[in-house]
Amino acid sequence: MKEEKLGKLLNELGERTVEPVRPGLAEDIKHQIPHSLVPHRGSMDTINIIIDLRISKLAAAAVIIITMILLANFFGGRDSIGNGIYQDSKLLIKYCLGGVGKSNMLAGRSKYEYLVHQGKDVVYYGDSIDPEDGNAVLMQWKLSDDKYKIIFGDLREKEVSAEELIELQARMLQRKTGR
Amino acid sequence: MEQKAGFAHLTGGQQGLDERDEYLEEIRDSLAARLSAGNRAAAAELVDIYYEQIYLFMRRLGHNCQVSEDLTQESFLAAWQHIGQLRSGKALNGWLYHIAANVSRRYWRRHKDRKVTSIEGFDVPDGSEDEDKIGDLEQFGRLRNAVAKLPGRLRQAVVLHYMQHLTISEAAEAAGIREGTFKSRLNRALKALREQVI
Repeated sequence: MKEEKLGKLLNELGERTVEPVRPGLAEDIKHQIPHSLVPHRGSMDTINIIIDLRISKLAAAAVIIITMILLANFFGGRDSIGNGIYQDSKLLIKYCLGGVGKSNMLAGRSKYEYLVHQGKDVVYYGDSIDPEDGNAVLMQWKLSDDKYKIIFGDLREKEVSAEELIELQARMLQRKTGR
Repeated sequence: MEQKAGFAHLTGGQQGLDERDEYLEEIRDSLAARLSAGNRAAAAELVDIYYEQIYLFMRRLGHNCQVSEDLTQESFLAAWQHIGQLRSGKALNGWLYHIAANVSRRYWRRHKDRKVTSIEGFDVPDGSEDEDKIGDLEQFGRLRNAVAKLPGRLRQAVVLHYMQHLTISEAAEAAGIREGTFKSRLNRALKALREQVI
């Protein structure tokens, strides 16, 4: 049987295998539409981040596990064994991906995802900074009127004033433009 | 009842094809833009346009009626959570079917012991039909069973492209693979079907 004919038959089979859907299914689904549909492009799940990075399956598996451990740490707020898991995770990611910059960016992205999920209005610069630049501001969010929390490319965290933040961003811009 | 992917059923045959495509693209873009803005009315519109298709997609993938209903609901719930990933109207079909395909795959993974259920869509010959019709029905019956026996990935490829009427590019996006990989998957599926149906 030729491919074209088989295709036609399958098309026809599709049209014949149509059965009525329970009336009310659409309404049931509509009732589940959240009251606030808040789309944010940064809220990709971990699997999609891994897929987007197009890394190998083995590395992806390791990264998923490590990201979960990291997220668990972020949820708990602290690492009970003196930051050990975090450091081990960094080493393993570094081994899988072959670079500190990339591993930091991945961990940073996970943290960003978590913060957004928490409802924080985080500004993320991960797509525009150099992954190897540990002093670049990776993300920032406002704490109070003149206080901002920033996370650097090497994942250091710091509280800064608005003035300091502007200065840091100006430096980033200078580095980017090469001036 | 003829079923088409996405919005194709919204237009009649009066307009020229180009005009129709343009019109469909406008509707898609408008819906995608409103969805991306978090508009609830647009979400309800999405349900109206797609719920039957997603239900039938689940049925054709081999889930029974009750499970298909549950998975349809689950697909839309997942869609609300991933609205931020919808890039444009053009990507609407691929985006929603990708979510639904993942929901189905997760279900099969959780219930490995479940059997594939064929969709009951057409009459089985009772002897009163003429020979040609009986022959046709028998051929469709064989084809339906052959589709149900295909490995999950191949079955999904056939269903997406031939039964849900997605383009190769949309179907590849829905399956989460490159177009070339999808085409080769489809070819393997057709080869397997040819062997079983002839």
